[in-house]
Amino acid sequence: MTFPTIEFAAFFTVVLFLSWLLMPHPRAWRPFILVSSWVFYGWLDWRWVLLLIGSTVVNTVFANAVARADTPAKRKQWVTIAVAANLTLLGIFKYLGFFVGSVDDALSSIGIGGLPVLQIVLPIGISFFTFQSISYVVDVYRGEQRPVALMDFAILQAFFPHIVAGPIVRVAEFVPQLRTPRDPRKVLAGPGIFLIAGGLFKKTVVADELARRIVDPVFSDPSAHSGFETLLAIYAFAAQIYCDFSGYTDMAIGLALLLGFRLPQNFDRPYLATSLRLFWHGWHMTLSRWLRDYLYIPLGGNRRGKRRTYINLMLTMLLGGLWHGAAWTFLIWGGIHGSALAGERWLAERYPRFHLPRWAAWAITFNIVCLAWVFFRSPDLGTAFGVLGQIGAGGPSPLVTPVLVALTVGAVAVQAVPRDFWQRAEQWFVLRPALMQGLALGALIVIADAAVGQQGVAPFIYFQF
Amino acid sequence: MDERRRQRHDREREHRREQLSDHEPIGGQPNVHDPAHPGIGDPEDPRLTMPAGRVFLVVLVALLTAAIFNADAMVRAGEGMKLGTTRDITLSVARPLADVTGFLQLNEPRKAFDLAFGQESKTASGTELETGSAAILQKKAKQEAKPVWRQPTAGQPLDVLVTGDSEADLVGLKMADLDTGDLLDVETVARNGTALTNPGFFNWELNAEQEMSSRDPDAVVMLIGANDGFNVEVDGELFAPGTPEWETEFARRAAVVMKTLGGDGERPVYWVPPPTARDQTYNEIYRSQNRAVERAAESVEGARYVDIFSTIGNGQYSDQVEVDGRKVLGRQSDGIHFNREGAEVPAGLVLAAMAEDYPVLEDAAPEPPKEDGRTKLGE
Repeated sequence: MTFPTIEFAAFFTVVLFLSWLLMPHPRAWRPFILVSSWVFYGWLDWRWVLLLIGSTVVNTVFANAVARADTPAKRKQWVTIAVAANLTLLGIFKYLGFFVGSVDDALSSIGIGGLPVLQIVLPIGISFFTFQSISYVVDVYRGEQRPVALMDFAILQAFFPHIVAGPIVRVAEFVPQLRTPRDPRKVLAGPGIFLIAGGLFKKTVVADELARRIVDPVFSDPSAHSGFETLLAIYAFAAQIYCDFSGYTDMAIGLALLLGFRLPQNFDRPYLATSLRLFWHGWHMTLSRWLRDYLYIPLGGNRRGKRRTYINLMLTMLLGGLWHGAAWTFLIWGGIHGSALAGERWLAERYPRFHLPRWAAWAITFNIVCLAWVFFRSPDLGTAFGVLGQIGAGGPSPLVTPVLVALTVGAVAVQAVPRDFWQRAEQWFVLRPALMQGLALGALIVIADAAVGQQGVAPFIYFQF
Repeated sequence: MDERRRQRHDREREHRREQLSDHEPIGGQPNVHDPAHPGIGDPEDPRLTMPAGRVFLVVLVALLTAAIFNADAMVRAGEGMKLGTTRDITLSVARPLADVTGFLQLNEPRKAFDLAFGQESKTASGTELETGSAAILQKKAKQEAKPVWRQPTAGQPLDVLVTGDSEADLVGLKMADLDTGDLLDVETVARNGTALTNPGFFNWELNAEQEMSSRDPDAVVMLIGANDGFNVEVDGELFAPGTPEWETEFARRAAVVMKTLGGDGERPVYWVPPPTARDQTYNEIYRSQNRAVERAAESVEGARYVDIFSTIGNGQYSDQVEVDGRKVLGRQSDGIHFNREGAEVPAGLVLAAMAEDYPVLEDAAPEPPKEDGRTKLGE
């Protein structure tokens, strides 16, 4: 089940009603929200629910084993097993097919191929709940988190607003909210409804429109398009992926707020960043802090000298790239970010008094991010270089329309709207009569549905990761 | 010893905290507890909160509003769902609602929004697709000579529209990849979830008219059929897939759309029914469709049947296909669609079929599958 569908609208209406009805009775509410989340997750394939339950139970066992271990050596042993088990699970689903194929290619080249071709279905959201599991067990190991009840951890893992594409939530952020019933008099409806409406608008009106009208045509056949079209497609993809991914997580956070729960924010005006470091403070924030805390810092962070810091930054971003998939394009995407992060750190240390004008720093950062997106979006390296090589090409540009330029520029420019403006708008909205609020939200749904038309909402980009 | 380890552990934790506060090189702090964070808000701020009952009321009003003004779209969405309970429930609610809102003209605002977004209606009643005669399936007279089409050059490539259901997507992409001589200008328009047997959701005759009038391509490649599991109505009687009546009706519908896409022989249409499927039930339906399309192509000027059912893997389903002499995973997990790598095989077969009409494309078309390498043409 995915958010902007008839099935989900019916599902959420029922769950919202029953959740608040049962909220004062935790013994009834907990199984209810857990089963509801499993229904949501298992809508496409019920076997995924079994995998989720298995992962939840096993990681609860690991967390307790780590906490109960009486020596540091045993604690380390348990956490190592837990991390290895989680990475193995992720590796089987994400990389085994690629690995077997590569081995078979290598063996075939010396005449002894013939390994079976594996058809492995990647369960939606497996990366997200696996990352949550790792952070839970590691936090217990580090003494930052005590083991929690199986039921609480199961609800965190399965909670339907965020299971499919994040945000990646830590036990410390969510489980305390389960310990006391949410106050039905104080639902953060202003931000919640704005996030849902904004997310829906970003996905249907901006992301899908840009994908259909400029990004997909150019990236599927770069040589058939002019330089202007190619350039617009590159910037439009930056806008598309932001609106697609942040649209989904905005809806997830908004839905959780209507149910009385707060999830961490996942995007904070990333395209206004004047450095790559700041970009990662605003882009997929829950993944970037996960990479920082469970990869960059265990690698040594900045504790082992400058050179090692650069290497750690590069390794972290390369592995972040590979997380998206076993492909050169993702590796190069990570490499561009890693090099740029290391490069700007080196510059800041070497020339501490040198500062670019703000606009220049923004332009350089944004264009580096867009360059990396070309590799991220391309199905293979040939297409990526084809797109980049086409930038200077001439020819007519019928795909460059004022509407598409406006959508692309608007997706970036809207991030410059002051935060106060949105908060005042939310406050204004909350004071309106319920009927007007409902009609406004309903009108937005009609507009969003008209924007996507009969082809329906395109799959969210991050569902595949 | 343990105490020293504990102290070291504590020092590392302390250092880590400092490090996070000082540098945060690749990411921000958790913010769920930060009430001032943008987009989240302070739960104690009464200007941002509402009681749960009122929230439910707002959601209910919103969904009812959307249902009333979107009733026609709900019917179409229901028609496009897979057969089953969800579809039945959706249609049983949406159809009567659409009747009422249509009578009250409450569907007008939605039509205005459709117009504003440039959305064309893809459903219509009384079209030949739904109600025409099977006489269209009469075999055309053999022509003295094959029609001669404009041969493409790198300077003047052929405008090719690759369309159909979701299978069209990757095949169109691969056709562009294989065309190394830049002889084709491939545009792919996949209409996901569509079928010839479900015109209530998407009417392919109407869409073909719209597409041909706006794009006017030199040639059309049509890949469709994977969603065609619906019963068809002929003279008031329903026929299930697999029956001879269904197959004839499917052939008739294919012929209607072929004729519209081809503009009565103005351009060639390469019609590609589904390949083999992992599921035997689907497989039988696809086999029936292939027979039907072969028959339809024999009756429509300029139509060619491209067989990817019996030519790939000798008609036996396999997750593997052979690309450039290598066995690769060629199908998606649904056991129907080709994946990005595997789509090269049907794309090559389509190009081979096109090379019969456009000999300059012979270099672009890879060797057909060795097992039983034939490309059936309708003429």
